[in-house]
Amino acid sequence: MDFITLGGNSLGTIPLGDIVLYLTPFNLFLFGILLLFTVMIAFSKPEIQTEASLGGLSNTEVKVTPKEFKQRRFLSVICGLASAGAMITGDLFNFTLFMAFVGILNIGIVSAVKQTSVLNSAFNYGLIAMMCSLPLFGGAAIVLASTGTLSLFELSQMTASPMVVFGILLMLLGIIGESGVAPFFASKAEMFRTPGSPFLVIIHLSSLFIIVRAVEILLLVLV
Amino acid sequence: MFIAPNAISVGFISMYLPAIYAGLIVGFIGSIAIAINRREIHILILTDIVGLAMLFIVAAVGTDLAEALILPGLVVELAETLAISEILLSREMHKLEKDKRRTTSLFPTPFLLDMEVMTTAPNFIALVLVVYGMFLTGFTGGAVTGGGILLYAISRKARGLPIAVFDGIGGVSGIAWCLWLIGFVLFFVMPQFWMISLLLAAFGLLLKVASKVGLIGVLMKEDLENEGGN
Repeated sequence: MDFITLGGNSLGTIPLGDIVLYLTPFNLFLFGILLLFTVMIAFSKPEIQTEASLGGLSNTEVKVTPKEFKQRRFLSVICGLASAGAMITGDLFNFTLFMAFVGILNIGIVSAVKQTSVLNSAFNYGLIAMMCSLPLFGGAAIVLASTGTLSLFELSQMTASPMVVFGILLMLLGIIGESGVAPFFASKAEMFRTPGSPFLVIIHLSSLFIIVRAVEILLLVLV
Repeated sequence: MFIAPNAISVGFISMYLPAIYAGLIVGFIGSIAIAINRREIHILILTDIVGLAMLFIVAAVGTDLAEALILPGLVVELAETLAISEILLSREMHKLEKDKRRTTSLFPTPFLLDMEVMTTAPNFIALVLVVYGMFLTGFTGGAVTGGGILLYAISRKARGLPIAVFDGIGGVSGIAWCLWLIGFVLFFVMPQFWMISLLLAAFGLLLKVASKVGLIGVLMKEDLENEGGN
């Protein structure tokens, strides 16, 4: 499918050799929203959770230490930038790389927490993400081998051969696993159960946006 | 079905599909093994096998572009392995902290092997790696040399001996940078001396990478000392 059909009016292309960046309102909107959220995260303070203590009337505050807070904020900002890059990129392999990067950063954001259960689910999510790098990169490589290009601009002009369909579906499987949606969400949902909210939200937000972009790429290449 | 220039022989192109199948089958076998095995450290190692199968499929493309894809793929793979093992380690640390009865180290058995080869072999292997790295030059050489330095540092650290070799490493890194720049400039100013500029650049890069990898050893030593102090 042509990218104008999906994304609205074309606002122009930026040809960088083989890689052609194309700008549509759709991509720019996603890109802008993610950048906005990244800026908000960079300048926000962490939430402080209060927990009711067992067998008494007092509450206890669950705080994040400044060192842990700084590390988390740094990784969240990088994660936001990587997802913003995935929104605007015009290259299939750059998209997979941004996706894998977001996956690693998601693990990194929760890696410093003290709760054993959160670390446990982060470990499980990491295993799924690592296994799904096979279909993710493999799918992109199969698309490259059967079309000779990774540029989404060029791929959208071609008609999909069976091998391309196989490759792009394999890639979809990889994206689903790496971003931890639908069948693989179990461990990822558990990763949120820790204080430090605004930084943890980017874990959720990045996978949400990346799935939207992945559907666009799928339609571009397949239809 | 595939786009390939005429210069590539038919036999080479026909290897593409078997390579993809091999990758997928290896990945599948790895996934089955993960499903069967329940011990976490085994699962981690088996996951690496699935990751290596990914490299099969990417490498099967066999163009220079594929090489550009393999390197990031490999780096992502390594980074994920490191991140996950780090999480596993910190989780075990937290478990140990909570459970006061278990005060043993992470190493399960007492390690008392008094053999001469345990003290001499690391030095020898480190020397071989450094010398081999010198011959290789460039990025690979730097990595090999750095690996040798790292092995030397770790083996000395493990035996409780002082490490005093790496304090000048920042200076070496600066010199390497200058060598690389001089080589680069010579390329453009005096192209007839391409050989010496190539060697300068390669040697600079070697020192640069070696010092970087060696630095990891120093940082690791500092980390260990900090933890020991606490």
